Amino acid sequence: MADLISSNRSRGIKNSLAKWLITFGGISVLFTLVLIFLYLLYVVKPIFESAQIEPKVTVNLDLKANEKVLTTGVDELQELAYQITDTGNIDFYHLKASDPQAGNQFSIGENSLSKLLLTGDDFHQEKVASVANSFTANILLHTVSGKTLLFQPSFYAKYANDTREIIPQVNYPLGQSSLIIDEQQVPFSQLAFAMDDEKIVFVAFTQDKRLIKTSFIADDDFSSSNDGDDVDYETNHQLIDYPADDIDEIKVTPDLSLAFIRSGSTVRVYSLTDEDEVSLKATIIPTLDNEATYLTSMALLSGSSSVLLGDSSGGISQWFEVATDSGRQFKKIRAFTTGNSDTNNDKATNDRAKKASNAITAIYTERFRKSFYTMTTSGMLNVFYTTSSADLWQGQLALSQPEAFAIAPRANGLIIIGNDPLDANKRNLQTFSVHNEHPEVTWQALWQEVWYEGYPEPDYIWQSSSGSDDFEAKFSLVPISFGTIKAAFYAMLFAVPVALSAAIYTAYFMTPRLRKKVKPTIEMMEALPTVILGFLAGLWLAPLMEEYLPAIFLLFILLPLATVLTAFSWHKLPNKVKDKLPETLAPLLLIPVIILTTYVAFTLSPQLEIILFNGDMRQFLTNDLGINFDQRNALVVGIAMGFAVIPTIFTMAEDAIFSVPGHLTSGSLALGATQWQTLIGVVLLTASPGIFSAVMMGLGRAVGETMIVLMATGNTPILDWSIFQGMRTLAANIAVEMPEAEVDSSHYRILFLAAFVLFIFTFIFNTLAEFVRQRLREKYSSM
Amino acid sequence: MISIIPKALATGSDPSFSKKLDLNNLAPEQIALNINELNLYYGKKQALNNITMSIPKGQVTAFIGPSGCGKSTLLRCINRMNDLVDDCHISGEINLHGNNIYDKHVDVAELRRKVGMVFQRPNPFPKTIYENVVYGLRIMGENNRRRLDDAAEKSLRSAALWNEVKDRLHESALGLSGGQQQRLVIARAIAIQPEVLLLDEPTSALDPISTLVIEELINDLKKQFTVVIVTHNMQQAARVSDQTAFMYMGDLIEYSDTNTLFTTPLKKKTEDYITGRYG
Repeated sequence: MADLISSNRSRGIKNSLAKWLITFGGISVLFTLVLIFLYLLYVVKPIFESAQIEPKVTVNLDLKANEKVLTTGVDELQELAYQITDTGNIDFYHLKASDPQAGNQFSIGENSLSKLLLTGDDFHQEKVASVANSFTANILLHTVSGKTLLFQPSFYAKYANDTREIIPQVNYPLGQSSLIIDEQQVPFSQLAFAMDDEKIVFVAFTQDKRLIKTSFIADDDFSSSNDGDDVDYETNHQLIDYPADDIDEIKVTPDLSLAFIRSGSTVRVYSLTDEDEVSLKATIIPTLDNEATYLTSMALLSGSSSVLLGDSSGGISQWFEVATDSGRQFKKIRAFTTGNSDTNNDKATNDRAKKASNAITAIYTERFRKSFYTMTTSGMLNVFYTTSSADLWQGQLALSQPEAFAIAPRANGLIIIGNDPLDANKRNLQTFSVHNEHPEVTWQALWQEVWYEGYPEPDYIWQSSSGSDDFEAKFSLVPISFGTIKAAFYAMLFAVPVALSAAIYTAYFMTPRLRKKVKPTIEMMEALPTVILGFLAGLWLAPLMEEYLPAIFLLFILLPLATVLTAFSWHKLPNKVKDKLPETLAPLLLIPVIILTTYVAFTLSPQLEIILFNGDMRQFLTNDLGINFDQRNALVVGIAMGFAVIPTIFTMAEDAIFSVPGHLTSGSLALGATQWQTLIGVVLLTASPGIFSAVMMGLGRAVGETMIVLMATGNTPILDWSIFQGMRTLAANIAVEMPEAEVDSSHYRILFLAAFVLFIFTFIFNTLAEFVRQRLREKYSSM
Repeated sequence: MISIIPKALATGSDPSFSKKLDLNNLAPEQIALNINELNLYYGKKQALNNITMSIPKGQVTAFIGPSGCGKSTLLRCINRMNDLVDDCHISGEINLHGNNIYDKHVDVAELRRKVGMVFQRPNPFPKTIYENVVYGLRIMGENNRRRLDDAAEKSLRSAALWNEVKDRLHESALGLSGGQQQRLVIARAIAIQPEVLLLDEPTSALDPISTLVIEELINDLKKQFTVVIVTHNMQQAARVSDQTAFMYMGDLIEYSDTNTLFTTPLKKKTEDYITGRYG
């Protein structure tokens, strides 16, 4: 009795121990899966967040009432801001709170540098009429009497007492004396410029209504000096024939190739590349909402191909050159609209007044990205991103039109100079932090066609990096998701017939002794590292197939034909001959047949090319049929990845067919069915759930496979079903680009999103497979 | 239940209902099958020793004997199901209409259409009831809907299943009970109108009531077919068969009409077996 109790107790302990262990194991597996899922989402989430703008620092400015602020700016770290006034002063302010008690309020003069710019002999108590900014940090000012000065507020870091200090300074690339832009030295009403290392191009409209272009061409290099002492350049003046009387705005693209000149609601585009003649390239006359609407502002988008036009009813349109049948033309690509969010309440009250206050007074573009900010008359600020058509932010940062507005060099901050809300006579400088890390990513940009600059039409494009600086990354997940499906499709096209035929033959027709040897052999293929298959496919199979393309297609026809023919002849042979070869070895007869057929196909290949394809099938495809041919193409991937998938499908399908109960097979045979009829009518039907899972498992493997597609697809993210073209898959894309993606960049997060999509893909396939399998099993169960 | 038993006994084993036949001297037109010096080997092991017997037409013939005596093997020889077994060699002949079924010109599929078989475990295909019944016709190439419908109804009626399944012909056969499945399998076998119907322990996997229903059915079937049944159950053999063959260790020990075999067996082994001394 005591024995009984103790054995019961130890059994109970073992029992509960096993129960806890199993529960723990099961839950931790689920937990890990959920954790992976959540981590992917956590990394991906920020790309779908919209922008945030928060006030940071306010500095009261000590300005005279009639002194006007012309422009402002800030250093990269947003520690020093400057303002330029019409008296020709530049003032720098510290923005970093040295004393936390001081809060956000700073007063002028604290460690700042205040300096008069107009120190040269040419300037005597002049007033600055206007300044022009370029995409470089250089600023060009011109005075009411037509004098001009090019300068550059700049910052350098000094490490005194082991603490970093940002020191402001002003550089004069061309010296401190006035530049001669107009030969007649008439004051300007409009002036724009752009410069690179060798050349500066000015386009100006003088007060006597001449449109001129002046270029300075450096003998050496403009960037070689900061004070302009030793820079020699030659000047080239041109008069541009302009059809209108007045000009509202001039913009010169940073690549010095185009000038956009706006007169009212018409924008004329001039080509500046020819030193001898400035020619009218295009005229843009946008169709506006209604009669009363007119253009109010114009800006160039970073990258110098797009121009943004703002109108009086709050609309902005983006235009760039597109190749059309009748040459390159400026086309309206997309439109944005401001001020829709808070108009719902009082829309009816005064629509007209609203419209007037909605007029776009200025468009500010970021230096490195395709984002832009718009300001309306009422001081409403909107943030947009062009390519993703994203409406990122809207809000009121100042009471009215600010006097000066600048975007921080890293696009993570804003500087606004405007009237102090408490005292209308005073002005202050306010800084804002901008959180807008991933404006280029929206759900639409990832999955829908996007019209990128320079493309003739909207398209799905994945191009994450390039050699050029003003390159815009193109993140469409469509081509790589498509590539995944295409690669899996061609792999399955090759693998399913081969694997299922092999499974049927092995399970149903093969003698048990041979089966015992064949099955483990094929299963061993599964252990073959896919990297080996990948480089064999990429380095050996792809060039071979390119050279013997007709042979490959010939093999697809000849191999099955030869196999069937051999089997048929063997079947028809008299028993006496058959008995000499044990039944187990009979299938081995196919080995010489396959070798011979392959040999014949490859020998015939050159002849075939001569007879059918004028000597070269590749050339024939490209030239006569217009089919592009990549060496690494879907055919190579189909065969290589098919090879990797075959063992998976084979093993599971074979098991399913082999486990069809014998009494079902005999039942069919006893009714006078042939082996073939039994196979089709009973065996495959009963094994169908298993065969289906086998195929789905193979598909899951093909979707997730990385090394083979990485090495054999060519990794070209194109959308094309053609068997002769490559593709890029989600898995290969992650493997290729993850090592070079900057952590936390949009690219990095989109790669995580790609991983998430891959996860979803396999999840969907597996769920679907399981669902269908359960249904089939229900139907054909009980056996 | 009580009413069923006397009826089964009355129709099955009352000798007055079947004319006694001299099994050793049957007229050719009375013979369905003629087994002549049949030997069967599994590899080197002999499983059937020189079996010679004639199975009369339109009667129920039962094979009885202890496990491993070769009765099922003999039955499976009649429609060549043993062909599927590796290392199985056969000598001797089985004649159907005077033709040896082991002749090399014989089409095995054609033979199996003439000699249908029902197995120990019900084995309906994972299809509908209807498709199960017409399976044999379909593989013969019959696709006429009317003819298939007629054959299905006729076979199901013959198998005493029609009334139970007529409203759910197009539901899965796997939803039927074991006894219904076995009758469905019988219906499937008789749908192709075989001459001989082989039943390999058709009731061993069934409950007593289903068994009785099947036994009744066997009695009806012999009006149309020659029935050969292998059974473990001597009472069953006594109830349903006209002739009984007792086999032991691959030998045919005794073969006579059922009444004689169970009441006055000639051989001691037979008597020992039917009185339960071994088995």
